[in-house]
Amino acid sequence: MTSRLEEFELTGDATRQTELYVRAFNSGNVEWVHSLYTEDAVAVWEPGKPLTGEAHRRNVEEAIARGASMQAKTRHAFVTGDTALLIVDWTMDATNEEGVVEHLSGVGVDVLRLGEDGKWRYAIDDPYGEEK
Amino acid sequence: MTAIAIDHDKPDLTGDTETQNDIFLQVFNSGDGALFDRLYRDDAISNFSGEPLTGEARRKFFVEFIGAKPVLEARVTHSYVAGDVALIGVDFSVKGTGPDGQPFTIEGKCTDVLRRVEDGRWLMAVDRPVAAGGLLPE
Repeated sequence: MTSRLEEFELTGDATRQTELYVRAFNSGNVEWVHSLYTEDAVAVWEPGKPLTGEAHRRNVEEAIARGASMQAKTRHAFVTGDTALLIVDWTMDATNEEGVVEHLSGVGVDVLRLGEDGKWRYAIDDPYGEEK
Repeated sequence: MTAIAIDHDKPDLTGDTETQNDIFLQVFNSGDGALFDRLYRDDAISNFSGEPLTGEARRKFFVEFIGAKPVLEARVTHSYVAGDVALIGVDFSVKGTGPDGQPFTIEGKCTDVLRRVEDGRWLMAVDRPVAAGGLLPE
């Protein structure tokens, strides 16, 4: 093998988390996306319906299987020693079950937690957390 | 609402969302800004003043602002708990009298991030109030 395996590393800089997420998501690598969350993370991709663990993982797999791609930019980052709140403007193009491309967007409220390994992960991912 | 007994040296917002909101309101409305500040971890960031404050700057702001006895009302709209991290959203209003003697009302939505700390208490890590009419830049 001459090709180099592409590496994906979590970050110790909370303000870089959004760009890492976009990179992981758009690469189509479900494991990379999943590695960005804590074990007991809560994701609220559908307002009012928090999901954890396997249920959230299936959501990520489905979105990626449909070829969804996203863009996102951190608008505000409030970073304490081991906890951070990010306010994120994002857009996503995703093909729905009828094969029609849908354009989604929102203002995400992300809560990050610093792990013992010095890396940030999403504890709470609330993509529609603030009104636009 | 019956007053909740609060340890003034080591207050605990608890892991229960409604209790968190009740304690937050009770302490804010008591006018004791120093006690209110102890609901925050040392390195917590509060945006209540319109800019992110932490440590001594945050404590000073709370002592002055809350000492003027504004009245806070808040209703929980959502809450999510992931292990030792919690996010709660509230609709809130603050009514008070400014330094110029003019009454003011601030209404908006606030996002609060709480953490369970080493001794098991839950404390504020970040707050982000967003008010119509601009307490904070969006």
